[in-house]
Amino acid sequence: MLRAVREIEGGVRLSLNAAGRLPVLRKPPVLESFLRQVYFTGVTASTGVVLRASLLGVLIIAITMDVLDADVDMAVKILLLVVFREIGPLAAAVVIILRSGTAMSAEMAMMRISGQTRALRYLGINLYDYLVVPRVAGVMVATLALTFYIQFLAIAGGLLLSPFIIEATFMELASRLFDLFTPVDFYYSIIKSLLFGFAVAACCCYHGLNPPDLTQNAVPKVVTRAVTQAAMLVLTINAVFAYIVFGILFFGLVKATV
Amino acid sequence: MSAQPAARPDAPEAQAAPRFALRYSRHGENREIAIAVPVGSVRRIELPDAESKSAFLTAVLKARCEAGEELELFGQPVRNLGGSARQRLRARVGALSPIIGLINNLNAWENISLPAAYHGKPSLAEVAAVTQEVLDVFGVEPRGFLVRVPDELGKLERKIAAFARLMVAGPELAIIESLNDGLNRAECARIAGFEQEYRRRHPAGTLLFVDIREE
Repeated sequence: MLRAVREIEGGVRLSLNAAGRLPVLRKPPVLESFLRQVYFTGVTASTGVVLRASLLGVLIIAITMDVLDADVDMAVKILLLVVFREIGPLAAAVVIILRSGTAMSAEMAMMRISGQTRALRYLGINLYDYLVVPRVAGVMVATLALTFYIQFLAIAGGLLLSPFIIEATFMELASRLFDLFTPVDFYYSIIKSLLFGFAVAACCCYHGLNPPDLTQNAVPKVVTRAVTQAAMLVLTINAVFAYIVFGILFFGLVKATV
Repeated sequence: MSAQPAARPDAPEAQAAPRFALRYSRHGENREIAIAVPVGSVRRIELPDAESKSAFLTAVLKARCEAGEELELFGQPVRNLGGSARQRLRARVGALSPIIGLINNLNAWENISLPAAYHGKPSLAEVAAVTQEVLDVFGVEPRGFLVRVPDELGKLERKIAAFARLMVAGPELAIIESLNDGLNRAECARIAGFEQEYRRRHPAGTLLFVDIREE
């Protein structure tokens, strides 16, 4: 219990510190580290894993439509509600946790255990500036980019695949999609994916910098803890966010097509 | 136990005592350590054990002393220093030590230039010039050396990279810890030039070699 409270407190402090220090991205080594993070998290992930994640999205659409005996309206709503709002950001977050969250937490734990973080401090380099901020910012940008990529692939795949399952043409589905699509869906995805990226990176950085002990054995423990908690954070944010935006709290204020 | 005799205030030479770059004392249960290093000198000290060495280096590099320790850097006692004053003192001290090792995921050039790139001074052109000169002195071919990460470098090469980083920072007080550790005789002979190279670049600087006394 005490450890959980300490972790929450530490995580919140790290998040606030990282958010408040974003201007350090102007420093060349920090910017370089940020770009490296975007490359490894976003660009390299987009080749294989994301494509498979997107195909999974398309598969879900196909099965749902088949089971629900969907018409044009239903098919487009499934694409918007399930794929665009939920599966897109969630799939991106899962890919980020599995690919980058594990690597990030292990790398930082190794740096802490081998005394490299101490070396950075002695060189007058702030750990938040050099290690945390570029990773958090990089993962946020990469999550947003991956989310759009997955959404695009899954929606395009869904529109192309649906005519084989229901009686509707590609053009009918596309025009209905544009009718139902609102800017809220777009902003919702942006904010949610940025939050997911922030939560995953902050959680992994926190655990990486705070291993349970300073031995090699701590690394797998750090990775397990970071991945589990990052996944739980993402699911919690998803549920809370969906409830706040499309639930009773702002219902009527936000004109979302539900 | 005294690792290096400190200047006694009652000694005749104390009248014209040089300013000390570093004065350190540690009162342990069984041994006393007192170290005094005048500004501009080159000193070699041997501490009785690894724990004493680690405590000494940590105190100096952090400009902070624990209970039972006294530390003065450039004439300033560090005990009650504020954050910014402590930071200023720390900026005047540098070390070639396993405590300040190289960063594993950066290549040699990135390791050497990281502090300068982060703090914005000196310029990268100056860093490149200093690095080139240091590598020339020790006969290292820069093209192959600078692109390698620490795991691909030998012990001697890692020490040379760390020394180049130290020379770029140009501290007034440079501490070199366990210089010969893990090196063979030929390599030891090569890095014996560290002292000369530091002196050439910083004629008024203070150089301190720290080791553990071999019983």
